[in-house]
Amino acid sequence: MRIGIVGAGSMGTVHAEGWAATDAELVAVCAEPGEAPTELAARHGARACATLEELLDLVDVVDVCAPTDLHHDLTLAAAAAGRHVICEKPLARTSAQARAMITACRDAGVQLHVGHVVRFFPEYALAKHTVDRGAIGVPAVLRFTRASYAPKGRDDDWFADPARSGGLLLDLMIHDLDQARWLAGPVTRVLARSRATLRPGSGPDHCLAVLTHEQGAITHVEASWAYPAPVFRTRFEVAGTTGVLDHDSDRDAPVRTIMAPTEDLADVPIPGSPMAESPYTTELRHFLAVLRGQTEPVVRAEDGLAALLMAEAAERSLHGGRVESVAPLEVPA
Amino acid sequence: MRIGLLSAAHLHVDAYVANLRAAGAEVVGLTDDDPGRGRAWCTAHGVPWVDSTDELLSRDLDGVVVCSETAAHRRDVEGVAAAGLGVLCEKPLATTEDDAKALVAACERAGVPLLTAFPMRYSPPMREVADLLGAGVLGEVQAAMGTNQGELPMRHRAWFVEPTRSGGGALMDHVVHLADVLRWYLDDEVVEVYAATNRLLHAPTVTVETGGVVLLTFASGVFASIDCSWSKPDVYPTWGGLRLDLVASEGVVGVDAFAQRLTVHGGSDGPLAWPEWGSDANQGLIDDFVGVLREERPPAVTGHDGLAATRVALAAARSAELGTPVALDPAP
Repeated sequence: MRIGIVGAGSMGTVHAEGWAATDAELVAVCAEPGEAPTELAARHGARACATLEELLDLVDVVDVCAPTDLHHDLTLAAAAAGRHVICEKPLARTSAQARAMITACRDAGVQLHVGHVVRFFPEYALAKHTVDRGAIGVPAVLRFTRASYAPKGRDDDWFADPARSGGLLLDLMIHDLDQARWLAGPVTRVLARSRATLRPGSGPDHCLAVLTHEQGAITHVEASWAYPAPVFRTRFEVAGTTGVLDHDSDRDAPVRTIMAPTEDLADVPIPGSPMAESPYTTELRHFLAVLRGQTEPVVRAEDGLAALLMAEAAERSLHGGRVESVAPLEVPA
Repeated sequence: MRIGLLSAAHLHVDAYVANLRAAGAEVVGLTDDDPGRGRAWCTAHGVPWVDSTDELLSRDLDGVVVCSETAAHRRDVEGVAAAGLGVLCEKPLATTEDDAKALVAACERAGVPLLTAFPMRYSPPMREVADLLGAGVLGEVQAAMGTNQGELPMRHRAWFVEPTRSGGGALMDHVVHLADVLRWYLDDEVVEVYAATNRLLHAPTVTVETGGVVLLTFASGVFASIDCSWSKPDVYPTWGGLRLDLVASEGVVGVDAFAQRLTVHGGSDGPLAWPEWGSDANQGLIDDFVGVLREERPPAVTGHDGLAATRVALAAARSAELGTPVALDPAP
């Protein structure tokens, strides 16, 4: 299976390392039109392509690690060329784009996968398994926290521009919106509140949402870029009818270092606990097995659409102050 | 100081009797609407049983601790105030806003002190955070996320899950503590409340809500969440807990009011136990009550604070019923 990565930023780099640990072949990398990412390509013995067309000619699978607002156009181009697509989360900048991507890939007869990588983080995967085997009964009250320092601005600063990235809700909270739905089923109603604490005018950097699930559960979600560096804290708690499980990345860290203050921070904070295999590798290995028809997907493109619909309801609630219904997950037949 | 106890309905009376003795007060006696419950409690705690409230109030008391069912607080506090005695009233102050206002007004008219039992005001970890905020090192608080979760309290007292006596379920039981802490920390009032509740936990056992997530908005625009769920299982090593994370402009702070504990595995305490070594916040509350009676000074937490927190809990119940945020007039 020949892989081509589009986008050579933080995620493109992480995915390239992930592919290197599989038996797939990373053959091509491209980034901005006309700017072949030679450094990343050289590191993995791949070709640095100047254009998307050049990359499409070389690969079976396109791994979209480009800015969020480009996911739609890149996916449609890949589908038109008959290439399978693995797309970073969020699946698209809007749910309408996500629907169009799902339709286009289906019509082209190619697979579309969305990188909701948190489903492959071992603590979350184990929580899902534990809930699914009935160990704590039916989930009733769920809590999720994902809190870090603000991502640093880069070249064109697309990440800091909510119009391009979707901001805090689409980029960060969407992980736990997906988790809430994965663990406790579809969400019908959302109330959300946000603050721009650090950079007024640049969009919310701290947000809380209260979700009501179709089957009765309620969920509290905290997403924040308002914590001081180098914090990247993840927590969850699932209270079920017969038991409670929880995780706290601070409490459960097996290795702790305390360093003198330094400015040497990653542009985009990426969480992780030391593991034999990176969750990104686990995710890509899984997609590879799905592409080869060896297993059923843990996460479908429709899940990516559902997460976007929840984030969009939260976004409406932020602006209007009211409880918002989540639009139904209707995928065109 | 001669202190009377009105009712053994609320389980906190078990702690207060020891706290009162440690504060050097004399526990003169206890009476209870339920003589069976009251007499049994008196025997267990070495406190004289008294047949009626009138008789208790005639025993040359300095103050009374009201631990009756929430719905009986108004009657009891008004009776104590009419006798000219200071009151410490268990939380929440009442099951309705009218009752809460009436009992606060009765104490004001009688000129007697009224304390609401919010021991978190006296918790050293909670006070340390108040000091940090007061010193300004964290800058301006922007948002807060709190949990005050617990076991199903009916294991200790069945009336907690009877709405006619308790006023409701997890919302009435657990919103007021953090609502009070947030009012204290932010020096601000709640203007809007949203609550989502359910009854999945303990569903066959009770009729009231057992799960609750509440979002408060303060006049300044700061918002704060409170998870008040009875979501700790019966095998949890303790009754529950209270935690609060605050995000401020210059940093963040998290506080776990009950983090000061040992972890014990095995032995006579069972597979896992958490004996606490932190300072007893209830002792701080009782010490303040006794000090207020002795020195005629204002308490750290008042009936007004109890009324404000009760209004937040009642607004949460209205919001849960309506399914929408509800506005709260900050100065009723």
